[in-house]
Amino acid sequence: MSGPFARWGAMAKVGVRMMFHDRLKLAGTLFGVVFATLLADQQLGVLLGLLSKNLMFVDHAGADLWVLPAGAQTFQPGKPISLSALTATEVVPGVAWAEPLIYAGGTLSLPGGGSEPVSVVGTRAPRYKGGPWNLVAGSAEALARPDAMIFEDSEREKLGGLNLGSVRELNGRRVVAAGFTWGLLPFGPSYSFAGYDLARELARFDADRTSYVLAGVAPGADPAAVKRAVQARNPDLLVLTRAEFKAKIVTYIFASTGIGASFGASTGFGLLVGLVIVSLSMFSAVVDNVREFGTLKAMGATTGDLAALLLTQSVVYALVGTLIGLGVVSHVADAIRSPKLALVLPWQLYAGTFGVMLLLCSLASSLALVRLRRVEPAMVFR
Amino acid sequence: MRSHAVDARGVGKTYGEGALAYAALRDVDFFASAGEFVLVSGPSGSGKTTLLSILGCVLRPSAGEVTLFGRDVSRAREGDLPALRRELIGFVFQGHNLIASLSARENVELALRVRGRGAGEAAREARDLLARVGLADKADSLPRDLSGGQRQRVAVARALAGDPPLVLADEPTASLDAKAGALVTGLLKGLARERGATVVVVTHDERIFHLGDRIVRIEDGKVTEGGVS
Repeated sequence: MSGPFARWGAMAKVGVRMMFHDRLKLAGTLFGVVFATLLADQQLGVLLGLLSKNLMFVDHAGADLWVLPAGAQTFQPGKPISLSALTATEVVPGVAWAEPLIYAGGTLSLPGGGSEPVSVVGTRAPRYKGGPWNLVAGSAEALARPDAMIFEDSEREKLGGLNLGSVRELNGRRVVAAGFTWGLLPFGPSYSFAGYDLARELARFDADRTSYVLAGVAPGADPAAVKRAVQARNPDLLVLTRAEFKAKIVTYIFASTGIGASFGASTGFGLLVGLVIVSLSMFSAVVDNVREFGTLKAMGATTGDLAALLLTQSVVYALVGTLIGLGVVSHVADAIRSPKLALVLPWQLYAGTFGVMLLLCSLASSLALVRLRRVEPAMVFR
Repeated sequence: MRSHAVDARGVGKTYGEGALAYAALRDVDFFASAGEFVLVSGPSGSGKTTLLSILGCVLRPSAGEVTLFGRDVSRAREGDLPALRRELIGFVFQGHNLIASLSARENVELALRVRGRGAGEAAREARDLLARVGLADKADSLPRDLSGGQRQRVAVARALAGDPPLVLADEPTASLDAKAGALVTGLLKGLARERGATVVVVTHDERIFHLGDRIVRIEDGKVTEGGVS
């Protein structure tokens, strides 16, 4: 490596050595990056966790297509639709299967008095689409037993100390705990699964009504074409693919709750504070080492060479700070993980964090570069 | 036709404007031949360092022309000056100005890398130069672990790295005792002569006057003695 590349390589080395030479300033700058990473990713992790709670049912129901009441915005109990939608969907070429699903609110009476709300999900044997997952006791097939229901394990105490075989009254009807799931807690009351007929009875739906129809697309069929055909067969209802339904739920949450603005503001605040800390630290490092930078200029280094030096520092700050920050936030996520609250930290968030921190550190270094541009090489003789 | 390696004619430098204007240099002619070891002396504030800064292409003259090795640097574009400095000039500063986070060897290597040398070549030349200034065993020491004289010897090695044809030194012995000062100046002169470099040293230090091929005296911004060549 020779010519300008040799200069840039040399500047990169000087930049890194300068960083590690002043440990206190290094710690201060890294603190800025770690702080920004921690606050931003903690907020985004909680937001993604809350979104995943609202999307988990659609993710796990196993349906390629959802037939919903017209005007449905999210997955929630609502006005039932006609069960004729099931037949209308089943007969569409390219539909491998179709199943009805009941989703309704319920009130569970507690042994000591009082009651707790639950979300009743009715799923039909033998496919049990939209049925329980993450089972820690019992199986979906247990729902075939009379009065059987599967409840959320983390809500057992809240539901009056539920155990396998516990008998309770739900919407005035006797039910028996036949199994438990783990972590199926949406924003609202926990999912409580029942066989289809029991759920219809609990929801007090007429025999020709249901909440949703789920459908699977046959292998090799074009999902978009099948969706259009199902929609044509159910003109008064809304037909969505799984991805479309999830997008609709996310849009609804952001539009109706203000959650996006709230978490966005917190994340932005974290990034802003990080930017200020890193900017001031890098600027201060330039001021402290201004004579060295003057010497480099006198030796023939250009402003571009010094920009390479600062850019290298930005990359190292971003990389090291992000790694530390992500390590901390991962440990925090593990420490607070529970069915009620879980930080969701996908790899895309990790990669995006590095990208944002790189941008943040580069922006911060531009302030230092403004100072560096003003450094006169003649200062080395004063 | 210019025949000198360093040729400055009618050079003036004025700081400030109007009533606050201050002429640091006035109509100065300065010449140095290739391989010459010239000392520039004069009282504080006489304009020695201003002249050195102009010769070093780190300060623009307000008037006059400066030619280094046949190239008119006083008319060079601002953006071309870094390249001219890399190509033509090595510096020894009063306060050594070594990069504190780099070892002695890395400081010398840096000057070579800035001049575009590859890593391997720079490492070899840096080792050789440090050996020539008697610091082979201190190559991996940081500046803070070296004495003042040792630091200035590293600065001499750095200034000569890459064989610049002109070396400019600003009070290189100011913070050194007599023995270290003589050693540093002797090394600078010896190594520069071997490499055919022209050296201009600004100094108050009469103890090293005997080392100069010529002594130029500046007072009140004008050359008063030794400027004719």
